[in-house]
Amino acid sequence: MSRKILVVEDDEATSDYIAKGLEENGYLVDRASDGRDGLFHATDGDYAAVVLDRMLPAMDGLAVLAAMRAASIETPVLILSALGSTDDRVKGLKAGSDDYLVKPFAFSELLARLDALQRRGSSVREPVVTSLTCGDLTMDLLTHRAERAGRRIELQPREFRLLECLLRHRDNVVTRTMMLEEVWDYHFDPGTNVIDVHISRLRKKIDERSDVPLVHTVRGVGYMLSETA
Amino acid sequence: MNKRVSVRLPRSQTARFVLLCLLFTVLITGPSLLFVYNRTDALIHDRIVSRIDDRQRNLLFGYRTAGIQGLVGSIDNEVQTGVVEGGVILLTDASGKRMAGNVLSWPPTLREPTSWREMRLYTQGQRRPELYAVRVAHFRSGHWLLFGTNLEARERMREALAEALLAAFLMAIPAGLIAGLILHRYTDRRVRAIGEIAVRIAAGDVGVRLDTSGEGEAYNQLGGAINAMLARIEELVGGLRVVTDALAHDLRSPLMRIQVGLERAARECDDDSAREAFSSISKEIDGMMRMISATLEIGRTEAGIGRENFSDFQLGDLIKDLCEMYQPVIEESGFEIDAKQNGDLPFFGNRELIGQAVSNLIDNALKYGGCCRIEVGADASDSEFRLWVADNGPGIPENSRDDAMKKYGRLEQARTLEGSGLGLSLVRAVARLHGGDLSLENNHPGLRAVMRLPKRANALAANGNGS
Repeated sequence: MSRKILVVEDDEATSDYIAKGLEENGYLVDRASDGRDGLFHATDGDYAAVVLDRMLPAMDGLAVLAAMRAASIETPVLILSALGSTDDRVKGLKAGSDDYLVKPFAFSELLARLDALQRRGSSVREPVVTSLTCGDLTMDLLTHRAERAGRRIELQPREFRLLECLLRHRDNVVTRTMMLEEVWDYHFDPGTNVIDVHISRLRKKIDERSDVPLVHTVRGVGYMLSETA
Repeated sequence: MNKRVSVRLPRSQTARFVLLCLLFTVLITGPSLLFVYNRTDALIHDRIVSRIDDRQRNLLFGYRTAGIQGLVGSIDNEVQTGVVEGGVILLTDASGKRMAGNVLSWPPTLREPTSWREMRLYTQGQRRPELYAVRVAHFRSGHWLLFGTNLEARERMREALAEALLAAFLMAIPAGLIAGLILHRYTDRRVRAIGEIAVRIAAGDVGVRLDTSGEGEAYNQLGGAINAMLARIEELVGGLRVVTDALAHDLRSPLMRIQVGLERAARECDDDSAREAFSSISKEIDGMMRMISATLEIGRTEAGIGRENFSDFQLGDLIKDLCEMYQPVIEESGFEIDAKQNGDLPFFGNRELIGQAVSNLIDNALKYGGCCRIEVGADASDSEFRLWVADNGPGIPENSRDDAMKKYGRLEQARTLEGSGLGLSLVRAVARLHGGDLSLENNHPGLRAVMRLPKRANALAANGNGS
């Protein structure tokens, strides 16, 4: 799988910041500083994902996205926007972007989302998954049963969805906002530590009677389900 | 709000309008039909008079040339040749003895000359008396002459005319009623259209326009004026959108750079206390960002931006989801949450914003609700949807409820707690975006925050979206 990311961003400081962070995490980065140049790159190269600023000189971010989709370039696109209102977000997602991140953002959030985007892109070609596992934890998506080391774990429907979300992103960080979006389909910030309390309950059910913890807190970013800490 | 006006008045207004139309129809057709009757009658009368005049001339021609004998001759002649057919004629001497003509005897009521008299007479060979217009002349020789023409045809004509005109009049009544109803329907439709537009404008949808292509100059003028007003509002809202976008961009971009700088500095710095400081600056920036976002969101919502993202969803599901989302946090804080939603509550609106509004209310109840139970619910009456969050805390005194909903309107007793003071004003803006409002009520004890969203505005928004 290609590990090349295209960053289309006119603000140099932000662009540097993203490129540097991505390179530190093993990505190759191409950069474009305006919309036209960005579109040119996107039609040309074989990128794993595109990070696209919404407000760009020469060609607006949404126009670039529309042009890409019109030319059937299905590279996953993550839109970066300084416009944070909910209707802007929905507009961005409707225009064909795969994810939407509001400035200012933490790099870890961007990275988690980019990783998730690529997994989502590749999983489309995989056959339909009916069960998910992590270590001795298994989840049957058809019967809605979860077991740890052969012992049944009783889960509320939402806890099931939450665990499913973590399992699908196994060994990768899932941020709080990602969980809010995937499990509840809301994009606003609930303000209180809603997700943390959900996770702590889930953690209790999963890790309580086991020596190997599976649910890990990634400080300042989110949570990760993994066999190795 | 104007239930009394909108339900009771139109019905009687319709009746009044239709009755007025009927009255006008009667007032106009009645006299005009009478006029037609009179004119027609006068025309017939004139023709009869001129016919009698002609006969008089013919008869007197005989008298002038040959005296009474000549007159008798011409009368006999008329009777014999049948010229007199359909008419009457009688000549008597001074004593009243019949000398010639087709009338059997002199009518006893006729005692003096007259130019027009209507009476029933028997003529020779007729069994029943018929109506005639007669003229009587008295000669110097003492002879009396009576002649006239049959009026039966005129009578039949009159009857037919009266019948026809009455029929026309009777037909005018339903015509008037129907015309009144149609006219009323038409005006009612135009006025209703304006009213519906007004409801949608009140809900912030300024993209709607009235149809000014129909007939009715006054309505088109009114529609044009309203459309011009709407265009102006839309322009202002568009301006607001540009300003908030620019503001968001210009504020977020430097904040982004500060965050980037902070993150880099924190990474390259070994000093733990400095790192602590960086992280607290970063948190402050987050808080500031949240505040800016909320302010911009409220401004945009108040201006009706966000209607593009209306969709169909179930209010009950939304309440259930949010309660589920908050349940652990609420229980952790020592509260209980009680979700009350009954069945099918299909709603057309901005799910994200409604969700955020209810979430803000739950957050408020957690912060200020004291103890120990939070009720979150949704239901619907005939006219409105209701979404509420109620707590058993100290509540808000009635006189400061308005202040609580104002932007940055934090109540004095709440100042010590963390919060932006934007929560309730966003909730109110969201309620207004959906044509409703937020009301803060007494929960005996505690606060009950209710978003009331009228069904009418909801249906209009849904229709507006569909067309």
